[in-house]
Amino acid sequence: MMQLDLTRVDYLQVGITSQKCLQVLPLAGKTQRIAIGDNEGILRCIGMRKGEVQTVFQTPPGPHKLTRVVLGGQVGGVRERIFSASGAVVNAYTKKGKNFLTFDTNMSEPIKSVYVEGTDLLACGKFVFNHYRDCKDINYVLCNDQISDVLCLPTENRGGITPILACQDRVLRVLQESELLYEAEVPGPPVVLELFGNNGGDEGNEILYGTSDGRLGMLQIGTLVPSHRWELANEKRGGGILCLDSYDITADGVMDLLVGRDDGQVEVYSYDDTDEPIHRYGYTCNESITSVKGGVIASSSFDEIVCSTYGGWVFALTTEHLTREAGPTHVTADSVAVAKINTLKTQLEDLQQKVTDEREKYQQTAYSKTAVSAVPIFPINDKFVLNREDASYTLSLELQTPIDNILLQSDVPVDLLDVEKNSAVVSYSACSPEEGNFLLATYRCQANTTRLELKIRSIEGQYGTLQLYVTPRIQPKTCQLRQYPIKPLSLHQRTHVFDDNRPHNSLTLTGQFSMTEVHAWLCFCLPELPERAPAGDAANFQFSSTFLDTQLDCTYRKGEAVFRSDNISTISILKDVLSKEATKKKIRLDISYDVNEDSIAHTLQMIHPRLEHQLLLAKKVQLIDALMELQVNEPDLSFMSPEYQQILASADDLKSEFKRQPCHLERLYGMITDLYIDKFKFKGQNVKSKVPALLEVLDSYELGNLINFFDNS
Amino acid sequence: MLVPIFTLKLNHKVNPRTVAIGHYDGTHPALTCGTAAGKVWFLISLICTTLNNYFSFCIFFIHEGKPHNISLKFPSCKNNILCLLFIFTNGCLCQCPDGANALTIGKLGSIESPLAIVGGNCSIQGYNKDGEDSFWTVTGDTVQSLCLLDFNNNGQNELIVGSEDFDIRVFQEDEIIAEMTETEIITCLCPITNARFGYALANGTVGVYDRSTRYWRIKSKNQAVSIHAYDLNGDGVPELITGWTNGKVDARSDTTGEVIFKDNFNQALAGIVQADYRMDSSAKTGDQLLCVSVDGEVRGYAPATGGPGSSLMDGNVEQDTIRELSQRKQVGCSDVKSYSLSGSGIGELGSGTMGMIPANTQLQTTLSVNTGDQTKPVSHHYNHLLIFIFFISDTIIRAVLIFAEGIFEGESHVVHPNNQSLSSNLKVPIIPPKDIPVDLHIKALIGQKNSTQYHVFELTRQLPRFSMYNLVNSETTPDPRSHVSFTLNERPQRMLMWINQNFLLHEDLSCEGDLYFTFVSLRGAGPLKLRMSHQGQVAIHTDDMDVAGDVIQSLAQFLNIDDLQTTADFPVETETLRQILIKVDEFHRVRSKLTAEMADHSNLIRSMVVRAEDARIMGDMRSMRKGYMELYDLNRDLISGYNIRCQNHNELVACLKQVNQIIQKAGRVRVGKFKSQVISSCRSAIKNNNTASLFKIIYTGMA
Repeated sequence: MMQLDLTRVDYLQVGITSQKCLQVLPLAGKTQRIAIGDNEGILRCIGMRKGEVQTVFQTPPGPHKLTRVVLGGQVGGVRERIFSASGAVVNAYTKKGKNFLTFDTNMSEPIKSVYVEGTDLLACGKFVFNHYRDCKDINYVLCNDQISDVLCLPTENRGGITPILACQDRVLRVLQESELLYEAEVPGPPVVLELFGNNGGDEGNEILYGTSDGRLGMLQIGTLVPSHRWELANEKRGGGILCLDSYDITADGVMDLLVGRDDGQVEVYSYDDTDEPIHRYGYTCNESITSVKGGVIASSSFDEIVCSTYGGWVFALTTEHLTREAGPTHVTADSVAVAKINTLKTQLEDLQQKVTDEREKYQQTAYSKTAVSAVPIFPINDKFVLNREDASYTLSLELQTPIDNILLQSDVPVDLLDVEKNSAVVSYSACSPEEGNFLLATYRCQANTTRLELKIRSIEGQYGTLQLYVTPRIQPKTCQLRQYPIKPLSLHQRTHVFDDNRPHNSLTLTGQFSMTEVHAWLCFCLPELPERAPAGDAANFQFSSTFLDTQLDCTYRKGEAVFRSDNISTISILKDVLSKEATKKKIRLDISYDVNEDSIAHTLQMIHPRLEHQLLLAKKVQLIDALMELQVNEPDLSFMSPEYQQILASADDLKSEFKRQPCHLERLYGMITDLYIDKFKFKGQNVKSKVPALLEVLDSYELGNLINFFDNS
Repeated sequence: MLVPIFTLKLNHKVNPRTVAIGHYDGTHPALTCGTAAGKVWFLISLICTTLNNYFSFCIFFIHEGKPHNISLKFPSCKNNILCLLFIFTNGCLCQCPDGANALTIGKLGSIESPLAIVGGNCSIQGYNKDGEDSFWTVTGDTVQSLCLLDFNNNGQNELIVGSEDFDIRVFQEDEIIAEMTETEIITCLCPITNARFGYALANGTVGVYDRSTRYWRIKSKNQAVSIHAYDLNGDGVPELITGWTNGKVDARSDTTGEVIFKDNFNQALAGIVQADYRMDSSAKTGDQLLCVSVDGEVRGYAPATGGPGSSLMDGNVEQDTIRELSQRKQVGCSDVKSYSLSGSGIGELGSGTMGMIPANTQLQTTLSVNTGDQTKPVSHHYNHLLIFIFFISDTIIRAVLIFAEGIFEGESHVVHPNNQSLSSNLKVPIIPPKDIPVDLHIKALIGQKNSTQYHVFELTRQLPRFSMYNLVNSETTPDPRSHVSFTLNERPQRMLMWINQNFLLHEDLSCEGDLYFTFVSLRGAGPLKLRMSHQGQVAIHTDDMDVAGDVIQSLAQFLNIDDLQTTADFPVETETLRQILIKVDEFHRVRSKLTAEMADHSNLIRSMVVRAEDARIMGDMRSMRKGYMELYDLNRDLISGYNIRCQNHNELVACLKQVNQIIQKAGRVRVGKFKSQVISSCRSAIKNNNTASLFKIIYTGMA
């Protein structure tokens, strides 16, 4: 297979861009043009001529940021009209820049995503979905959870419109008019949808999705049920997917899959014989990729991947060689670049003068007694997500300007893990829990760092707030505070399956509380819940623990809430937190619980394979070095037991697995200890004094002994 | 773009910092590495050869020393086979009782034959090719790195020593001619050109010194394992090549620190060396650069041939420049924007989240010495320096970040009060662990309660060298038992200037007539009295010899004194030394006894094995079992004996370290040639076991 060799070329920088705000217009003439919208409300349409950016048209800045830029056209025809969404308004432009439509949707929420198919316009706010035909509202759906993206299947050879919504609660909702046709569960919170091959495949019903935890997949939207075609797990722990496109960059006649991630990775996947994607190419830039599109931009006959980044960069990865080996082309590229550098330099000098002037003006005010100084809030693009693989949180933040330093403060015990790709120098400061500081750490960033990723491990049951003070390198120096709640059941994740056959403990709350109140308590305890209480009299949510795979079911309505979990520790945490919250609000709660003794053994059995695996892994890793030494000295290894030979053969895998899960064993021990304490807490006994005995049992771990210890003490 | 000219997989684990090149047969360079089990192996040219006959020596060598931090370095001279044999066969190094942490080979000063210089616990020894130690000196702490270069351009090599007390010292033979204080343990040193050398610290800093001025430094969150000077871009000037714990290798320009090349390994680097490894006869290619990772991957690089100015990096320069300029333009634009938006109008100070503050807000700081509660027994935990930060306006301080090197555990210290106790002033206690001048970079986050946006006020304050001392009344404070006295050719006014500059005082001191001031150490080292008469007689009274050394060194530097002889009367310190020397003797006795026992045991084992095996062949299973049981018991005895021996050895090493430290301290209360004189006389006194004269040397500075 041919190696892809792509060169990065920067085109221009605009303001901060939102997800999917760059489109490549259809081919007209030799090259294609780019439409890009930014957060200042400017929509630009540009083309490239002789390596220089030519602006075709540019709109004046708008009052709201552009949240989406999509292309539309007649059904079956070329999509060459540009639609941009900002606030509650959708604007449409011809390729020449004529604004032929300004449509105020009057939606109650600002538009977050739109899709255009013929004369149909699908627009979504945070929770609402509206369908307009010829600018007339014809369908409306209110979703239970946030909508991140919308599209509809091509209408060419099907009767009506089939809108599909990507929702935060890990489902794709397939609609028919104002009704929900069905829900398709996907492995992570979907954030982007695209038609497979830009046309939905042979049957026009295949769609690609990307999730915020970095997974990719393809779904076939059947008339009654979806079928999962393939799914790519996020094994390399890449960032969340922000954009997808299908384009034949390898020039082999088959569409390739282009992927942009929020950690700055651009990837190309080709499809193998079984139509499964395989990784072909990867490029990493330091900012999140908000859009990725394939096209021919700079010079005809050279395919490019055009990307936009959060910071507003528009760059291309081109198949054209611009480096030295390229010979003749190198000279032209060079002279253009030199001219560019010179203009930039003069611009910089002007700017420097301006900055000095402004600074003087600013400092003048310092002598005034009545004047106040308030610095504008700079935008921060941040994300705080739970990773299912290692049950830790990733906190990523991105600025348009370089970051100077970051102060991290937490009022709960959390562990800060090292992120390899970070270059920032971390320093822990001594802190005292009496002052409410369990963690104080500073990150001093290297020059030109605009994006930083942190990894945090929380402990269930310990809750509070993680605070981040971000200082960018702009004058006058300011810093912004960001807060992230660490919830009591921080390691739980939403699911839509629940196994009723497991032994369950249950907790029932009754009292004078409203549906909204109980929903608010739940939001306080568990992540990934919508802010507003779902419509209807009763609600039901399921969760699973990312660490142990135990489950939790919450059913509640006005005046009553029932929680069921096979893990007694989960119930215990809920009981503690909810009674505390209710007391704070001065609401009387009747709490009853039902402890199922079988659940303890069940949970231990759930832990067992993990614990055993970890113990074995630790043992194997310990042996590797010694075995390696033997291997070096012995020409023939056949005298070794097959087990040892196997360890040697898979040494690298074992080591990397061990490295990937630091403290896993300690965390499992912690869970078992909690389980033990919680079991007896419900019986009204305090067994903290017996914990050392428990740890002794764990030291020489054997499942039977452990269960006995739990039963007999 | 530069790519490796060859790569090799060694299939051996390599210990970090144990990679060297040797010419064992006189011509072929051999890559030499230490492996995890304490063995050394060789790779000659591209053909892997393990020279088995060297193995026994190597094992012996590594077992006696500390395998993990011995760095083997052999110069690539042809007669180097001698050096190697000397190191391995003579075993001198293993016998150095101070341990060996760092090693370098080459010519030092006017000493004629090349020396193998070993850095141990506070001591540095140089052995010639016959294994005689012809050079000895002491330094402040355990030596971690060594290198040789012509520091003062006198045509002779000086020795640069990096030690655990964060100091880089330059020895012209046994005289210290320069001393630079860094912020962490100095883990690597390497000569670059002329008097320029590279260094690396344990906290991830890498930099270049030219003489005693630092040219540049950078800090990474990873640590440098190995640094090496090599001309990678072919411009005739070597670059500093650094191998990092995260597997990165980069080459930086020696003048600016700019990265001109980088590459990535999958594992941490173990070492970087240079040799003409390919042995291709074309002379112009010269040596290659060999980078070895801990999992045994070797990559060889040759200098770039693209001529000066050609880029070694992937991608093209223009695009990078454009990107960088655009980035700067972007920053400039945001600056202008935020200045113009900085609401510099007249408005109400709301409780808004914007964090508005009065425009005339000013940051003020004062430094003061806090001695805690005087009525309580003086414990140094109560004593600290206090930075008092306050604002003259209606704002609150959300948090204070202080960035400073060498005085905090990390590089920063944060104070983040809880929400209830926010106010417009803040006290930050700090305890600098050493007497060094420090720059404090203070960043204060200022705003309103419940703001989400804060102003950042930045300020840099300097802590004087002796900031942890508090001025007290001279009359009421008792004199310490020990003192150093000497005569200066200066007026007391000059010394007063020095005091005003180097101590933390509320207002400048002044004095008429004889100078007499008393300070109390906040670290619990007792009072420090400074006296100077009009005749130039100076006395420094303190019980802490370290403090006396610091004072004298700083004073000598201030007054530009090259040589200074002093009388040092430290009865407590000498008593400690006496005790330690007695202990050392004891440890030596125990050691020889244990060694004899072990030899006995091993003879016994040999005969017992023979007997037990005989019994087995004869079919006498009962005697065999009995024989092996006895053997088992004996083995256990041997192991416990070994443990005792290890412990004994560790204690001995600790004691010897203390001895060396006291000698070093005795040196530090003198300046220039008198300092080296004290050290060399102390050494010969110890060698001759002449304890009495040792005390006299410490007292008078002369043998």
